[in-house]
Amino acid sequence: MNAYELNSVEALRAHLAADRRLYEPRPDGQGGLHWQTVAADDAQAFEPGLEPPPFSAKAFFFPEREAMFRFERGRFVAVEPEPEAFTLFGLRACDLTAIAYQDRFFARDGHYQARREAALLVGMDCAASCTGGFCAALGSGPAVGDGLADLVLIPGASWRLLVNTAAGRAAVSGLDLKPAPRDWTRAREQTRQQAAAEQGDAAPLLAGIAALNAGRVPPQTWEALGPRCLGCSGCTSVCPTCSCFAPLDLPTDGGLRRERVWDSCLYEGFQKEASGHNGSPSPGDRVRRYWFHKFGDGFKREFGRYGCVGCGRCDRVCPGGIGARVVLKRLGGA
Amino acid sequence: MNALALSVLPRPMRLLQRYDDGEDARHFTFQLEDIRAEDAGMMPGQFFMLVLPGCGEAPFTYVSRPDDQGRFSALIRRMGKLTEALFELQPGEVLGYRGPFGQGWPRFYGKQRILAVAGGCGLAPLAGFIEDVARTRSGTHLQVIYGARHVGARVLSRERARWSGALPLIETLDQAGPGHRQGTPLAHFDTVFGQAPPDAVLCCGPEVLMEAAARECLGRGLRADQIWLSVERRMHCGVGLCGHCYVGDSYACRDGPTYRYDRYRELLRRSGCARELDRGELRHC
Ligand SMILES: Cc1cc2nc3c(=O)[nH]c(=O)nc-3n(C[C@H](O)[C@H](O)[C@H](O)COP(=O)(O)OP(=O)(O)OC[C@H]3O[C@@H](n4cnc5c(N)ncnc54)[C@H](O)[C@@H]3O)c2cc1C
Ligand code: SF4
Ligand code: FES
Repeated sequence: MNAYELNSVEALRAHLAADRRLYEPRPDGQGGLHWQTVAADDAQAFEPGLEPPPFSAKAFFFPEREAMFRFERGRFVAVEPEPEAFTLFGLRACDLTAIAYQDRFFARDGHYQARREAALLVGMDCAASCTGGFCAALGSGPAVGDGLADLVLIPGASWRLLVNTAAGRAAVSGLDLKPAPRDWTRAREQTRQQAAAEQGDAAPLLAGIAALNAGRVPPQTWEALGPRCLGCSGCTSVCPTCSCFAPLDLPTDGGLRRERVWDSCLYEGFQKEASGHNGSPSPGDRVRRYWFHKFGDGFKREFGRYGCVGCGRCDRVCPGGIGARVVLKRLGGA
Repeated sequence: MNALALSVLPRPMRLLQRYDDGEDARHFTFQLEDIRAEDAGMMPGQFFMLVLPGCGEAPFTYVSRPDDQGRFSALIRRMGKLTEALFELQPGEVLGYRGPFGQGWPRFYGKQRILAVAGGCGLAPLAGFIEDVARTRSGTHLQVIYGARHVGARVLSRERARWSGALPLIETLDQAGPGHRQGTPLAHFDTVFGQAPPDAVLCCGPEVLMEAAARECLGRGLRADQIWLSVERRMHCGVGLCGHCYVGDSYACRDGPTYRYDRYRELLRRSGCARELDRGELRHC
């Protein structure tokens, strides 16, 4: 890991965009914030703002719908993605942690891995906390964790750049970068502590996780939360680690195409079997499962961390007001 | 592509033959076009995904292991869209196959006493196991109790006829006429536990039957780690990715569908179903 002074983030961005397609979260002028392509000659200033984009980077690697194979004249033909190299610029710590989580979950999924290998990840420490995020409580921010990105932007009086990987080093070759002063880590740590402190006390959230895993959550709690879930799939769509999917067969000229499309475990029919039996028949069962999947110790054992990265998106989007922060506090009895 | 890549591309197989075998159920013989070592290495209790182009795919257990020509059989009940369409297919037509998936029944060696309890179509996942014991004369003492709703609902008629000559097979019906045993499989536990209790129990059928049978075994002094179940869940990918088949923090397609009963209970307990379990009102998670 090497740290450099970065006189102009825009110059770095232009340099990277000259090589491969580059995306950055940008306001759409109508109140939205989306991942948008930035050309090498784009003069717009890099202004990341406080809030993360409503959609994480998940769809770059695990698209909302994706062809898996075709069936033609009695043969099954694989549809392999052929992604062009691209750069994601300005990824926050939470979303980078989510990418690392999905890297593990999809370790043996050829489609995911092909897209993932095509990506250069440029992370960014958060200079201040977003509203509603609780990444500090879950160890996924506000500073970008080691090894999660090829390059990391560090905000401060002036920008600094960390070069973490060989791919990152190759991507910045040709740029005239001066080493950062030796005490760069101190300033970074100060920013991290400040941003983390803005997120408030982690204890009530951790108490919720502990209660869930100790079996101390009474069934009535889930039954009370259940009716507040409208089964809209908002949380599962915006969650950077949700990855359930369903198969879809689409007719084509002389055959068909099998796609996989995002699904949601909060839909009533998610576990319904042909026999009519449903493994999770009530909304309370499904809500319980959703949070158990994010905060269950069994999943943590398998994937090295909890499935939730504390990005706060589900709290922002849930029409019933039962996002992660609200639910954890409730489970913990706060 | 990554050598570890999961099998998402179906392999072609042909429908060879089919015959009616129980109420709304048919015995199908398929033939794989290219046979792999893993097909022949299939363990009874594992399953495959049957791909019917245009109708999606669904999990079924093998009734027999793919032979050196790639031929194997399955017992399939008409339930919904995919099975309806499957029942309309003519021999010779091409379908897709992925598998084998999941964990099969445990292996037993030597002179153990095994009890297999099957209900309805739940006899299918046990068929390969029963066949192996009936054929190899390994010294394993296997008793089978098979329950169905009525005479016509029984499946695997040819297999049952073969097994009844080779091992003790108790057939029982919810609605029995003259000459048939009456009651659920549980009604006959006295008979099989009478001589000596089994060393292990394998159970497959409706979840209520499996739960009732497991509790009955515990009540008769067996330990939970002597009992195995094969559970049914909705499955799409078969490889632990799509999320549909979860049982607590386990994926039935990968870690099941056979679970040892103590581990199954622990999964449910961990995922917050403990109270339902203790009250005996099992809701699935
Ligand atoms: C791992 C696995 C693989 C499967 N593979 C296949 C497959 O390859 N093909 C296929 O078509 N299906 C398959 N199934 C489906 C499954 O076997 C059937 O859905 C299930 O057995 C219900 O069958 P049924 O409707 O005939 O049972 P039912 O007719 O409802 O009942 C069958 C028996 O269970 C007993 N029973 C029912 N309720 C109770 C109760 N409350 N207490 C005690 N006993 C009770 C009855 O007395 C009767 O003896 C599989 C299931 C599993 C778990
Ligand atoms: S569960 Fe909510 S807060 Fe946690 S990672 Fe998913 S969307 Fe973000
Ligand atoms: S069937 Fe997809 S995860 Fe089990």
